[in-house]
Amino acid sequence: MAVPLAYNFRNLRVRAFSTVMTVLSVGLVVAVFIGVMALARGLEEALVTTGEPLNVVVLRQGSQVETSSAVRREALQVIQYLPGVATDAAGTPLTSPEVIVLLNLPKRADGQGANVLVRGLRAKGLALRPQVRLVQGRPFRQGLREVIVGRPVAERFQNAGLGGTLRFGRSQWKVVGVFEAGRTAFGSEVWTDAGELADDFDRADYSSVLLRAENTAALRAIVQRIESDQRLHLKAQAEPEYYAEQTKTAGPIKILGSFMAVLMAIGASFAVMNTMYAAVARRSREIGVLRVLGFRPGSILLSFLVESVLLALVGGLVGCLLALPIHGLTTGTMNFRTFSEIAFAFRITPDLLLRGLGFSLVMGALGGFLPARLASRQPMVETLREE
Amino acid sequence: MTAASFVWKNIARNRRRTLLTVLSIGLSLFLLSTLMTVLTELRRESPEGDQHLRLVVRRASSLGDPLPEAYLDKLRRVPGVRLVHTLSWFGGIYVDERTFFANFACDPETLFPMWNENHIPPEQLAAFKKERTAAVAGRKLAERFKWRLGDTITLKGTIYPLDLDFTLRGIYTGLDETAFFFHHAYLEEALERPGKVGTFWLKAATAADVPRIAERVDAMFKNSDAETKTETERAFQLGFVAMLGNIKTLIASISSVVVFTILLVTANTMAMAIRERAREIAVLKTLGFGRGRILGLLMGESAVIALAGGILGTGGARLFYSVVDVWKHTKGFFPIFIVEPSTILLGLGLALAIGLASAALPAYRVSQQTIAQALRRTG
Repeated sequence: MAVPLAYNFRNLRVRAFSTVMTVLSVGLVVAVFIGVMALARGLEEALVTTGEPLNVVVLRQGSQVETSSAVRREALQVIQYLPGVATDAAGTPLTSPEVIVLLNLPKRADGQGANVLVRGLRAKGLALRPQVRLVQGRPFRQGLREVIVGRPVAERFQNAGLGGTLRFGRSQWKVVGVFEAGRTAFGSEVWTDAGELADDFDRADYSSVLLRAENTAALRAIVQRIESDQRLHLKAQAEPEYYAEQTKTAGPIKILGSFMAVLMAIGASFAVMNTMYAAVARRSREIGVLRVLGFRPGSILLSFLVESVLLALVGGLVGCLLALPIHGLTTGTMNFRTFSEIAFAFRITPDLLLRGLGFSLVMGALGGFLPARLASRQPMVETLREE
Repeated sequence: MTAASFVWKNIARNRRRTLLTVLSIGLSLFLLSTLMTVLTELRRESPEGDQHLRLVVRRASSLGDPLPEAYLDKLRRVPGVRLVHTLSWFGGIYVDERTFFANFACDPETLFPMWNENHIPPEQLAAFKKERTAAVAGRKLAERFKWRLGDTITLKGTIYPLDLDFTLRGIYTGLDETAFFFHHAYLEEALERPGKVGTFWLKAATAADVPRIAERVDAMFKNSDAETKTETERAFQLGFVAMLGNIKTLIASISSVVVFTILLVTANTMAMAIRERAREIAVLKTLGFGRGRILGLLMGESAVIALAGGILGTGGARLFYSVVDVWKHTKGFFPIFIVEPSTILLGLGLALAIGLASAALPAYRVSQQTIAQALRRTG
């Protein structure tokens, strides 16, 4: 027969000070865990949601990112007439040769420079990225040295807001529009005309080519054709895959988060253990009474274990609540692959909260087991004889 | 019975609780030392050598774009410049991505004069200079891959469309022993002479020349096709750290949570210990111990426990990171990871403060109780 749960609840209430202290220690561990993981999650999501499933990114063989890639102009002629490349209403292939330049721009917050990715493209490049939507101003016009910027760029960098002027290459570039790109990495970019950007930076080659396949079978065929063509020296990759590879940037944050969480969790389970040992010590007579009433040692063990897990779970809940306010906070870090800054928001998802709670449960079970075992093994008669 | 032995007896009374508390505090301080060391390492200065005399010249628009090699002669003629060195990030991959390390094309003649805190045996230096495909590696890097002098090492280009083969001719020692250097001329030749350099490094004759040189160089190339940005080595390093994002805030907020957790754990332990001893404390009072004395005894007990945890945590961290190769496990991110004595002192200071603070409230409450109240209470 199990000891009623109400008994555990009442006990937790009686030792209010210890309960609050222990709940808070567990809660803080869970909050740190969720916070750091939300950071990694936000970064990963910004990259994972960036690609369109039917888009193909074409890069130079051996290069991992657009920033260090080069595609010769002759190669574009071959790529755009490959079978399976989708066409627009006018019947021209949906391919977008693009020029990528990294810029060092000062941030609004502290004037420190960070790298921003500038993408030169044409109308088709915009058409291939339906997730990007202009929310302020107008699109850039050819020949006028105009740029549009992602909202995080407009907010985070000096002179990058609507109407501002950025100085790079050989010219002054006017910011004529601000775009929203959902949670994708494009939000951290500056977009302008491909030809003008190539001119200013003396780029004879394109950096990359983005194209749309008609369907998934065509996508596979195109990737295969490009990679097996020895003359091209190019590699092709589905766009989601290309960005998914960059999620490795979040790796160190996750490692740091897990490392801290494990260390802190062990520390917190020691605290739970202390609290539970004290509880067992103070209630030795009660335990004796329970035994006399006919509760088996197994039930006593379970009861104390449940109490400890309850304690930790309350802590887990508190931790979830403490972590919640950071959801949606934007921050930025360097994407180690492209070497440019990527802005993203902390993301707390339900499964992350569940993991936090699961984590607190483990702390409770680890911290409660030994004290509970001690309680169940206490000799019945002697405990009752105590003062 | 002295006060010290009284405190000690009380600590030893519930050994299990003391041990668990010390371990819990120790783990937290281990973590705290780690976090503080992350900050220290990101801002580490070279203690020897000419760091304060070194400047970096790079393309103003972005580090990703190179500078013309022709700038070399112009830079050499800038007054106050003692030495000019070329350094280009190659970004090559050895075997696969997981074994990544920093590798640069440079001028072999000026590499060691520029970073005079690094040392290499003279015969190895001579061999490195003589051969176009020769390379030098840091001691730690060579040890990691078990390279020996004369080994052939191939790096796959990621930024440049080529793979290069090198012969290891020298192993250098110094503060950061994790980088790989080879001849700029070899890369230029393989690329069919584009005449480009990633960065120029200058060494000023005196510290007073440093700001003048920076201004002069940038003014010289103003309105040219490749404008420059010249800054001290220190500013250049800190610029990189700033690009990682707001690490300081992140670490500071996590650290304060960790400190608060230690406070909670210690306060809980002390509260439990004091509550159990309420009657004893009343007895002490009956014997004539003053309130201040009792408060002192309890706070002393808590301070000793917290300090023990502090010593365990900070000392443990120092030991742990001297054994574990952080460079390898962080994929080259932290070439050096040393828990400095200043970090240990700060950790111990924090532990002591937490120890005193966490006993204060429960100890104060019990010292305020009247003897009759305490004796009436049952444990």
